[in-house]
Amino acid sequence: MHEDLLQRAVDLSLQLGASYAEARWHRHSGASLVVRNGEMIGYGESIEEGVGVRVLVNGALGFSATSTLTWDSVREAVEQAVKLARSHSRFMKRPIGFAEARMGRARYEAIAVKPFDSLDINGKLAVLVEPWERVKGTVKEARVMTMMTRYSEDVEEKTIINSDGAFVVSKVPRLTVGYNFVLLHPQKGTIQRSETFGGSGGLEQLERWKIPESAEEEARNLENVLLNGVEPPKGPVDVIVGSEIVGLIVHESCGHPSEADRIWGREAAQAGMSFIKPGMLGERIGGKYATVIDDPTIPGSYGFYLYDDEGVPARARYLYKEGVINEHLHNRWTASLWGTASNAAARAMDHNSEPIIRMANTYLAPGDHTFEELLEGVKLGVYMKSYMEWNIDDIRWGQRYVGLECYLVENGELTKPVRNPVLEVTTKSFYSSIDAAGREVRYEPGTCGKGEPSQGVPVWFGGPDVRLRSIPLGVVA
Amino acid sequence: MQQVPVSEFAEKLVREALKRGFEEAAAIVSRQRSTMVKFANSEVSVVQRWDSLTVGLYLTKEGKILLTEIHPTGFEQASALIDRALAASPQVRPSFLYAPLPEPETFEPLSGLVDKAIIDAMNDPSSLAEAMLAGATGAERVAGALTLFHGQRGVATSKGARLEEEATGLEAYLRAFIGEASGQWAHGSRRLSKEAVERMARTAVQLAEMAKGRAADVEPGTYDVILSPMVVGNLMNLVGMMASGMAVLMGMSIFARAEPGSKVASEKFSIYDDPRNPELLGSTSFDDEGLPTRSKPIIEAGALRTLLHNSKTAAKFGAKSTGNAGLMFPHSWTLRVAPGDAKLEEMIAEVKRGLMITNNWYTRLQNYVEGIFSTIARDAAFYIENGEIKHPVARVRIADRLPKLLSNIELLGRDLYDISWWEVSPAVRAPYVLARNIGVSRPFV
Repeated sequence: MHEDLLQRAVDLSLQLGASYAEARWHRHSGASLVVRNGEMIGYGESIEEGVGVRVLVNGALGFSATSTLTWDSVREAVEQAVKLARSHSRFMKRPIGFAEARMGRARYEAIAVKPFDSLDINGKLAVLVEPWERVKGTVKEARVMTMMTRYSEDVEEKTIINSDGAFVVSKVPRLTVGYNFVLLHPQKGTIQRSETFGGSGGLEQLERWKIPESAEEEARNLENVLLNGVEPPKGPVDVIVGSEIVGLIVHESCGHPSEADRIWGREAAQAGMSFIKPGMLGERIGGKYATVIDDPTIPGSYGFYLYDDEGVPARARYLYKEGVINEHLHNRWTASLWGTASNAAARAMDHNSEPIIRMANTYLAPGDHTFEELLEGVKLGVYMKSYMEWNIDDIRWGQRYVGLECYLVENGELTKPVRNPVLEVTTKSFYSSIDAAGREVRYEPGTCGKGEPSQGVPVWFGGPDVRLRSIPLGVVA
Repeated sequence: MQQVPVSEFAEKLVREALKRGFEEAAAIVSRQRSTMVKFANSEVSVVQRWDSLTVGLYLTKEGKILLTEIHPTGFEQASALIDRALAASPQVRPSFLYAPLPEPETFEPLSGLVDKAIIDAMNDPSSLAEAMLAGATGAERVAGALTLFHGQRGVATSKGARLEEEATGLEAYLRAFIGEASGQWAHGSRRLSKEAVERMARTAVQLAEMAKGRAADVEPGTYDVILSPMVVGNLMNLVGMMASGMAVLMGMSIFARAEPGSKVASEKFSIYDDPRNPELLGSTSFDDEGLPTRSKPIIEAGALRTLLHNSKTAAKFGAKSTGNAGLMFPHSWTLRVAPGDAKLEEMIAEVKRGLMITNNWYTRLQNYVEGIFSTIARDAAFYIENGEIKHPVARVRIADRLPKLLSNIELLGRDLYDISWWEVSPAVRAPYVLARNIGVSRPFV
């Protein structure tokens, strides 16, 4: 049914003078539960559905969306997109064009082993209550000021048809469960942790995530940090950066600056630009451990897809390779600017969103060290396992990560907890300072924001633990 | 369907929910059309247009709260969600937040929320886009966005509220580049003023002009900082969010341990939630529970005056709703910082060693209860010494505690700016602000 609507939209766009047209039916349906201190706040269900149409007219791009799935409404969307693109084409000094691409004609689905409806609401509630019980039970001297837990399931369905022959139908279920707690001690103040688990697939992921165990362990360890945390050493020390932080670092300082639209300046007034300029492919950004891959095709990943929203087949992209800027993230427009082919990075959050260049699952390649081997040889250092505060500047160069669960490393052993160490580095200094990487890659889910209006899309950040040599750390006073 | 008033649609859904066995219901129906022109490299990167109908339903039964949201094609689709909620309800537990929906109160509609010029311009915003680019004369290239919107919002509740409001809005912001230097400014209003859009663009160019020349690195340390209304707007969004009763319950607020009346900021500082001011984007006459809104101080002369409540969080705090529902999460509508009496030059003259930061982004927190945060300057930023701007500075971070920043505010500008953009939403009317002894950092290596 939607396929007819979409095909008519594409045909009408071409009749009205578009040189390219694309129509996407896009639906999110989901349910969510929120619990505070073990008590339910509410249960919600949502359906978000509509059609987005994108056209190229006289070298200008128009996008129009409607949530009313009738031909009248879709026709109006098409007419408006064409009209607006045409009236603004006079501003174009360099008409927008799309590079040639092989178009997908396929249907795919990420299969949930345990579908969402295989557990009733009571069962889902239990998923949120148990972490609270564990956290409450494990904290001894501090008290749990508040703990929120949330459960969210979403099924994303799309049908994409474009005038270059794409016809892609997809269905991806995603699950996220998260908690946020604050521990309070009358003399020592507070410490706060937010953690989210997420991936594509069904409820089978819950067994792997072991959320109650994770929450309990984190609460116990963070109470120790709150009560006994010491300041990080002054002066340069070796820093073991935990995989959770490594994943975030590569997302921020490799994935984002490798987005070709950002390099070109399309996001300059919003999410910013990039220290990478056109022509910098092949330049060195770090040492041999600096290999960063973005791969949409990882089974079970939160950023999973097999074809992008322009219908281009997805593949792994090697953004930095052994310390060298190797490949950017492209859609068909930037591919035409660079004289290359799209590597399928066009994604739209929902029917209201134009497809733009996005990451999927970005991770640092693993090394060959065990965690113990990373610690070996560190005379004095800090292990930063998790974080809360972070940010990076708008060219993706200067960045800051404030450690949460952290420990002093003395003579190769973890010793005292460390409170609020600050890793504040440039992109080049980070990738140049890695002297060893762990052998296990771990992933964290995130919702990456970009675009205007801002679009949040699901991604994984990943990496192994890494060791940096001789890094000065700051501290939150 | 398109012709049905949104409040009638909402009322019909409420009736349907009660008929199916829910004890209470509230429905919010909004229909919105918007058009956006996005610029980059002084070209139009995309023109976008949206037409959306959104229905939010709040349903209760035996103290259980069920929420649904849908973009329906018609009434049947929306009412199908009521059936699903009903089917789910036996398994849902009573909500820790449950409180009865409020009885409707007398309210005054707000006039002046609609500007026909915006509705007209939505059909073809290209001449307004042209004015924006013309205002940026002197820039080598610009990027930005111009958004126009027009919509209706209707609320109906099982207590008998049935309200509807129509409003328009405009948001325009521009980043101007001259060589390596850049300046950014923003403007948001319920009304269209070509002059205001051009003035916004000129301000962005002026800041880029001021920032020309080699930007020097700043030594990490403590500085007096002058924050532009862009930066104040971004940080006040955080203050507004933290003032929500729900944020306090969630452990996401610096006000988690503050009683109303307690000192939380400099006595020179006041911030208001100002929904009754129809000049401001976000202004509205009723909230999502159908209660009339009112303008009120959140912080006045440095003292916390009120948290923002819906009837549920109000019940938890033993307070009354402040007309800020959010069916679940109470929120500010539009924020206004009270002006001081200083001119910008006078503020600069008061700084012995400091920085002026005109734009920022990426504000993140290590700990919401303690307000440990950092945010990064972007675009024009300057080093000030002995009361004079000396030179532009490279990207720095403000890294400190929000309560300290609020307490160290010493001067506020007398001119107010209506700011709304990617990093400032809801809109904020704010002056320049001088805060003393604030932590500043940059990468160590």
